[in-house]
Amino acid sequence: MNDNESVLGSGGFRKRKHDNFPHGQRREEKENVNPSSALMTSFKSFQLELDTRHDKYERLVKLSRDITIESKRTIFLLHRFTSAPNGEEILNESEVKLDAVRRKIKQVAQELIGEDMYQFHRAISPGLQEYVEAVSFQYFIRTRSLISVEEINKQLIFTTSNSHDKQPHTWSLKVTPVDYLLGVADLTGELMRLCISSVGNGDIDTPFELSQFLRQIYDGFTFIGNTGPYEVSKKLYTLKQSLAKVENACYTLKVRGSEIPKHMLADVFSTKTELIDQEEGLS
Amino acid sequence: MNNYRSGGFRKRKHDNFPHGQRREEKENVNPSSALMTSFKSFQLELDTRHDKYERLVKLSRDITIESKRTIFLLHRFTSAPNGEEILNESEVKLDAVRRKIKQVAQELIGEDMYQFHRAISPGLQEYVEAVSFQYFIRTRSLISVEEINKQLIFTAEDREETTNMTSNSHDKQPHTWSLKVTPVDYLLGVADLTGELMRLCISSVGNGDIDTPFELSQFLRQIYDGFTFIGNTGPYEVSKKLYTLKQSLAKVENACYTLKVRGSEIPKHMLADVFSTKTELIDQEEGLS
Repeated sequence: MNDNESVLGSGGFRKRKHDNFPHGQRREEKENVNPSSALMTSFKSFQLELDTRHDKYERLVKLSRDITIESKRTIFLLHRFTSAPNGEEILNESEVKLDAVRRKIKQVAQELIGEDMYQFHRAISPGLQEYVEAVSFQYFIRTRSLISVEEINKQLIFTTSNSHDKQPHTWSLKVTPVDYLLGVADLTGELMRLCISSVGNGDIDTPFELSQFLRQIYDGFTFIGNTGPYEVSKKLYTLKQSLAKVENACYTLKVRGSEIPKHMLADVFSTKTELIDQEEGLS
Repeated sequence: MNNYRSGGFRKRKHDNFPHGQRREEKENVNPSSALMTSFKSFQLELDTRHDKYERLVKLSRDITIESKRTIFLLHRFTSAPNGEEILNESEVKLDAVRRKIKQVAQELIGEDMYQFHRAISPGLQEYVEAVSFQYFIRTRSLISVEEINKQLIFTAEDREETTNMTSNSHDKQPHTWSLKVTPVDYLLGVADLTGELMRLCISSVGNGDIDTPFELSQFLRQIYDGFTFIGNTGPYEVSKKLYTLKQSLAKVENACYTLKVRGSEIPKHMLADVFSTKTELIDQEEGLS
């Protein structure tokens, strides 16, 4: 069964049966692979390790999506806040929702026990950013100031105290400074929306407070500039636009507000951008 | 109140604005007016829809992961004794996937499937890929859409056995859920299958199996011809996968050419080594001819 014989049979297309190839030999070699050799067992352990890691990653992605959705709904709820009687209701309801979110974050913390958090960071990062946005929004409505990372992390320490002879377990999740920054950048978008809607509600003070507040946040972000992660630079651009909208609203209130009765002021805002452009053109 | 004031910047207190008036108007909004109640019903409807979409996305991700693992398992198939084992194991995994698809079908009862199609489409494509791969390994042919859909008809027989009901039980209709895989999902799944078949071809050469590459070459050529009927008239994803399909087909045909051209000159046990450098050899030959 010398393979060199078939060299002389070259040239042109010929439907050749592969009888001269020793099929049997290769198959026997395959069956001789010992399934419990050291190599195979180590591969099996690799398989197990990788599967558990990917399953954990998938569970974290699902939890992160739940956190994102619940936080977004909390933010929508907080936009309905007014200083009317239902303001207290809304704040309490938002606290309930945020507690539900924190329970999910507790599950995330339990998944991450004994693991390097940064290997799964990409899975949970969107959820944590939305949570930071929701919590800081609620904190701003209450106190008109910005919540700090330490405050947020203090709320994310969970303990169990079921039986007294058992050690109380403590889980905590640290929100990284990057997630905090990105969450605050998203917060500015919500504050811009709050500003415009508060003008529609007739609240004249809020836009000016927000204008100052957003200006301070923007100044803080320009310290970082482009030295941070890629997402920070993207959100910096959106932040600048939000700040511009809020400041335009304040200018319109000051400039137009002295000339128009208050109940017509909301109408002016729908056309304020064109008015300001015209003014800039004339001056 | 509307005095004309010009001039530069002045920190002006807004006392001349009647704050109280606007706030009273706000409190006068009737929370149970027809408009508010209709908005509340919108809110409820949208929330349920988004929750359902989210559940379907989660199910689809599970289906995708389980199907992918089935495909990895099927790649380990050989004609050795463990071949039967692997096929049985893959059947078990695919049954688990079908249970998840049953949950998807239950979620979609009474709903327009196409409104949620984008959520479940990736999962269904992976499932089609896994099922057709297993079918090909068994029968060396392509499974049809009807075959796939036949396996996706679920009835609730087990539930009726467990409930202790009175004589009304046999009057009750057995619940049937089914999920129809759309032709688009089937096509995209088959396109993904070609990638797996290409991988199967290369690994079978490494195993010393000389027949499979030629069978696969013909099979893939037929699939490619079928796809060129559609060309660019289908959805955007089809065009993308057509490009990948062409590359897979090229790899398989290169493997077959190498086997024929090189196979006659080199002893068999060295053939696998040739494949690692086959592309450069073929390029050199094309340069010389």
